[in-house]
Amino acid sequence: MDLTIFLQALITGILMAGIYALVGIGLTLIFGVVRIVNFAHGEFVMLGMYVTFWLWKLWGIDPYVSLLITMPVLFCFGVLVQRFLLQPILRAPDLAQIFMTVGISVILMNATLFLFTADFRSVKLAYSEWVWRVGGVSIPLTRLFAFLGAILLAGLLTLFLTKTDVGKALRAVAQDREVSMLLGINPERMYLLAVGLGAALAGAAGTLIVPFFYVFPTVGVVFGLIAFVVVILGTLGSIEGALLASLIVGVAESLGILFAGSDLGLVVVFAILVVTLVFRPSGLMGQR
Amino acid sequence: MSEILLDVQGLSKHFGGLQAVLDLSFQVRTGEILGVIGPNGSGKTTTFNLITGFYRPDRGHVRFAGQDTTGLRPYDVCARGLVRTFQVAKPFPAISVLRNAMMGTLLRHADPLVAEAKARDVLTLVGLEARAHMEAGSLTTIDQRRLEVARALGTEPRLLLLDETMAGLTLTEVSEAMRLIASLRERGLTVVVVEHVMRAVMNLSDRIVVLNQGTKIAEGKPAEIAANPEVIRAYLGAEYQRA
Amino acid sequence: MAESAATGQSDLAVRGKRVRGLERAIATVAILFVLILPWLLPNPFYVHIVIMMAIFVALGGAWNIIGGYGGQLSLGHAAFFGTGAYVSTLLVNAYNISPWITLWIGGVAALLLSLPIGVICFRLQGPYFTIATIGLAEALRLLVLHYREITNGAQGLTVPFKGNAPLLLQFDSKMPYYYIAVVLAAAVLLITRRMERSRLGHYLVAIGQNQDAAEAVGINSAKAKGQALALSAFLTGVAGVYYAQYTYVIHPDGAFGLGMSIQIALVAIVGGVGTILGPALGAIIMELFVQSTQILFAGQYPGLELMVYGGLLVTVILWRPRGVLPWFESWYRRLVGRAERVSGGTP
Repeated sequence: MDLTIFLQALITGILMAGIYALVGIGLTLIFGVVRIVNFAHGEFVMLGMYVTFWLWKLWGIDPYVSLLITMPVLFCFGVLVQRFLLQPILRAPDLAQIFMTVGISVILMNATLFLFTADFRSVKLAYSEWVWRVGGVSIPLTRLFAFLGAILLAGLLTLFLTKTDVGKALRAVAQDREVSMLLGINPERMYLLAVGLGAALAGAAGTLIVPFFYVFPTVGVVFGLIAFVVVILGTLGSIEGALLASLIVGVAESLGILFAGSDLGLVVVFAILVVTLVFRPSGLMGQR
Repeated sequence: MSEILLDVQGLSKHFGGLQAVLDLSFQVRTGEILGVIGPNGSGKTTTFNLITGFYRPDRGHVRFAGQDTTGLRPYDVCARGLVRTFQVAKPFPAISVLRNAMMGTLLRHADPLVAEAKARDVLTLVGLEARAHMEAGSLTTIDQRRLEVARALGTEPRLLLLDETMAGLTLTEVSEAMRLIASLRERGLTVVVVEHVMRAVMNLSDRIVVLNQGTKIAEGKPAEIAANPEVIRAYLGAEYQRA
Repeated sequence: MAESAATGQSDLAVRGKRVRGLERAIATVAILFVLILPWLLPNPFYVHIVIMMAIFVALGGAWNIIGGYGGQLSLGHAAFFGTGAYVSTLLVNAYNISPWITLWIGGVAALLLSLPIGVICFRLQGPYFTIATIGLAEALRLLVLHYREITNGAQGLTVPFKGNAPLLLQFDSKMPYYYIAVVLAAAVLLITRRMERSRLGHYLVAIGQNQDAAEAVGINSAKAKGQALALSAFLTGVAGVYYAQYTYVIHPDGAFGLGMSIQIALVAIVGGVGTILGPALGAIIMELFVQSTQILFAGQYPGLELMVYGGLLVTVILWRPRGVLPWFESWYRRLVGRAERVSGGTP
């Protein structure tokens, strides 16, 4: 096997890992703070993609610019979902919670199917085809920008969580809800923030990949599944874990595609899930 | 003299920086009532958890009825004949008292009809037969404790570990509980009792093991223990020991 | 529920008998209705609808064993459904084995598939099982699409048409299909009842109430859940085989798709999880919804149907987190209470 082909796959995997990290961080944040497993998370990504697509199609807005619009829109959407659909059932049995997010997922997927049809959409930009060639390996600029954008956003989130009071309050609620209440933190407001942020990050991930990914109603399913593997491998609730896990998943998927075939990438990801559950169910970041 | 039913050797367990149990060894003979006492935090419940498989020990062994049970899961330990109650009772709240007891008897009697009959017997033993159809979650604390014992007895154990069953009981209730435990011994059960209620432990136990900060500091007959300076110091502090 | 004997007071016993007599009368009427129903329907299309209802009663009931009683949410039951359908159809096509036999083989194949999932996931606490089932169904779907030399890929498989061939589970009228579907559905419900009263049924309740306490009295929780899953997978696989035989065609997206998994789970949750008749009620409601949206929109709008499913799910959760049947049951109990008072017993 040619070394360059292997390197190519490796680099593609690393670049994609940035996106997986962004989606995974959002999911793990929601779980860490609100303790709800969000089965609609992939659909947040899908929504981000559609918003970006239509902004470009109708008003010619460049996807990277539209981040400034999609993120707030998805943030608000997340807040609304938490306020009206999730908050009422926070004390309901787990079954109800899971099915609520599954129901939201089904509605979102099929609403877009209904409104926009199953057609695959794509965005064509001046720089869509630009490639950076480095020693035999070609790096499409759109993928590179997606990776850089994801890293930037992840970095901003980390700064937010560690340096701002609100961010610390969020982490406090994730660690111990009752003690945070004693400290005067309003957990319900933190839940809104967590879901809003999680949705915004997922939506941003969607925006960043639109330049090189087809947009269609069920595109979120794959991202949702990958996000779950990232979150489980990285340990539920751990952001550093999600970063590390996304790297592993991204590279493994890419290598899997190289060796097994382009339609079996997800099977490799599923295999990672199985291996994790068998050998290290608590994830890379260990005992909770 | 009777044989050794439970043999604990060199048991150790730490949680993060806290050494909860360190190099603990003791034995329980068939047919005896062994009391385990010690100040709060001395590792009594942790020891129970280690013996019954809820925690894995870092080091050490547990042998029950001649077989190594170290690291077995709780349900396997129970199947071998060693069963425990919980310090805070854990009933199955949304089902009836009778059905709770059945969950214990089903272990040895797979036919639910037989298990139900045996469950009635065991409820009568602890005095709960009148409440058989009440929802377990609505029982008083002491009745929940009775149910806990009944459920454990349903598994037809050889050794019963009782974790602070008498906490918060009135004097009459303590006497009742003592009578019940003594009657269990009549029926051939071996009992290990963790307790803070000194009157009960001193009167019931054939022998006592004293724990402090995760290690055994004394072992012997109740009278010996009561006079033991180490024990007094552990409970009351050094000043009292000198006195 | 452990059937407690009457306490011996004679009027209690008489009242109990009266209520039970009423229940038995309703049950008999219901059974007779089900038996003559297809003859009352105006055309085969309606018979098709009730056949689908019956198949989904079976599917929802099978899901209910692990999802309702076992408390473990599977969102990938299509994995077992599709396995049954594909294994059976492949064997029928390749070796001309009678589907009456492959019904069992498909079920066993699904059961075997469920074993590793159970072993891996049930020793863990958390959403892992749910996620693993989603992944399993997706992985199978992709594998079936990929190995198209064997499975014919996206084009799917067809059952070779043999006209009226009862020994090969093919009939030219819908009536036999209906009765077999009803037998299948009834079998699942009866098996559920049997399970509920067995040791496994009791153990699953204990595990659901307090797993630590259950383990302390000797209950191997992972093994119990694994048994429930195996039973559920087997029945789902059998239903999958039957579905393939009835519809003659299966595709990877339909057989292993998320939509099928959600539909199966929805039947139980809408009707009431952890109850015997919940899936029956759920399947009826669901199928009526499916058909009415199809009639209203004449299949013009893709996605509308599932959007309605999703909306239904969200609405049911917000309104009645435990499903429709428990609400119905408490209404029924109040009704029976009134009946007792009317017939002269003391309330």
